[in-house]
Amino acid sequence: MDTGRPARAKNAAAGKRKLREFAADGGLTAGILAVTTALCRGLQEFSGADNHAPLLFMLAVLLIARHTKGYGYGIFSSMLAVVLVNYVFTPPYYELNFTITGYPLTFAVMLAASVSVSALTTQIKRQEQVRLEVEKEKQRANLLRAMSHDIRTPLTAIQASASGILDNYDALGRQEKLDLIRDIREESQWLVRMVENLLSITRINGEHARIQTAWEAVEEVVGGAVAKFRKQFSQIEVETRLPQELVLVQMDGILIEQVLVNLLVNAAIHGKTTSRILIGVTVLEDRVVFSVEDNGQGIDKALLPVIFEGAAPAEREQSDGRRNMGIGLSVCMSIVRAHRGGMRADNREGEQGARVQFWLPQQGEEKAWM
Amino acid sequence: MDVKDRILIVEDDRSIRNFFRTILEANRYDVTLAENGQEGYSLITSLCPDLVILDLGLPDLDGMEILRRVREWSSLPVVVISARSHERDKVEALDLGADDYITKPFGTPEMLARIRAAIRHSRLPLQTGGGRSGTFAAKGLLIDYDKHRAYIGGQDIGLTQNEFKLVGLLGKYAGKVLTYDFLIREIWGPNMENNNRILRVNMANIRRKMEKNPAQPEYIFTEIGVGYRMVEPDEERSEQ
Repeated sequence: MDTGRPARAKNAAAGKRKLREFAADGGLTAGILAVTTALCRGLQEFSGADNHAPLLFMLAVLLIARHTKGYGYGIFSSMLAVVLVNYVFTPPYYELNFTITGYPLTFAVMLAASVSVSALTTQIKRQEQVRLEVEKEKQRANLLRAMSHDIRTPLTAIQASASGILDNYDALGRQEKLDLIRDIREESQWLVRMVENLLSITRINGEHARIQTAWEAVEEVVGGAVAKFRKQFSQIEVETRLPQELVLVQMDGILIEQVLVNLLVNAAIHGKTTSRILIGVTVLEDRVVFSVEDNGQGIDKALLPVIFEGAAPAEREQSDGRRNMGIGLSVCMSIVRAHRGGMRADNREGEQGARVQFWLPQQGEEKAWM
Repeated sequence: MDVKDRILIVEDDRSIRNFFRTILEANRYDVTLAENGQEGYSLITSLCPDLVILDLGLPDLDGMEILRRVREWSSLPVVVISARSHERDKVEALDLGADDYITKPFGTPEMLARIRAAIRHSRLPLQTGGGRSGTFAAKGLLIDYDKHRAYIGGQDIGLTQNEFKLVGLLGKYAGKVLTYDFLIREIWGPNMENNNRILRVNMANIRRKMEKNPAQPEYIFTEIGVGYRMVEPDEERSEQ
């Protein structure tokens, strides 16, 4: 999966999905019709009456129209139902006789019912889609607002420090220059992390809003995240507590690594006094839980309920505006959600520091669609 | 007075070109610059540099195209520059014959290590006569290619045959990322392609035999989405 040509993979995946949909809807149609036929046959055997057959088939057609995609299955089953009722349940039995009075009416009613239920279902689905689209758009706008605000501050600092050095090169001492250059590096590293996060979002929210998953070893993903984190925060100790045996999970490894890096960086920056971070992985029956704990100041209780929402800057201007957790954590949330997982943040009980946990479904082989 | 290695940099962004020239000249390389693909390609043919640093996103010629053309007639080391999140580009470039990649944004020590490793590999076949005999040593790890064994601190770690093949291959190309597909092809043959699981499982077993903490490895590093990389050998690092 991770090396396939993108276009081909996408086409194949789309084709596969269509096939799967067809199999599901077709199976449902066949199943409902079969059950109805069996039921009618039974009633015919035991009570000798078959005047309920048209009604039961009517119900079957409605159910099919409601639970399948598009009009095709409903129309097909209404036609089939008419033929079945005629052939099996209307005297003369096992003979097609289209001259019975009222026959065209039965057919027309079934067809009309099936078409209108299909139309209703389709319409509801479409409305749901529009609602989701609007929701997505709103999220995107929020993010853009938060982001522009967040990018401006470090950029100003970089620009100011660089001009400061250039314009006062001889006036500044060696140490002062080094300090300014370090600031430039720190600010730009922050910007780079921000852009990485934004790129991750485009990976999830791209045109085919689906993540590409492969079997990844949890220890490799954790190891990769720790290595990336160490490059920038060498003074903080990171301990890893992983199961002894190999744990393979279906995921987009790059995105989950990004989640872990974000959580580590957050623990380092927002914990303020953090000197030690613990990454733990626990395997439960249906999920794998990752947790990142630090020994820093913990998370402000007022922030806890809204922490994953990437609140707009205006709503939290008092806090150290730039170094907010908004984008990093809301990116984590989107990534985890795209994996059909969940996320939770709280403070450690009885001890100082924050703990953020997220989990990924374990048997998610076929479920990892967005 | 030693002869300096000549590095050609093909990069359209002026600041990044400047950065490379400054850092590489400070590290005693002879640096030539090219601003676009055409110029870069003609300099590769006329100059025969010891190493090419190639940006994949050039305005006139696709970096991949240059790489493809160069590989038609030469195995000179090429290191590509790629954005961090473009794993697919990296894999494609490596499979096309690039020796390594460096990701934007650059960390200087890492970049220099990649360049050193790539130049070293281009000379390796001459030193060892093309065979895989000899040993590889790094941080207490010793790979003995003749005996088909690997040792940590003198202790045989008991690798199976396939595990040894993997470790041996990574050791042979130490410092360079080997892609998942490349490793799978080399060890299990072409029919196993895209079977990530078997590679993951083997690597996990190796890690348990080699590393003190599998989640914080010292010898074999994972580049998520791309492949695996062996730590650089001892002589190389003490040289610096």
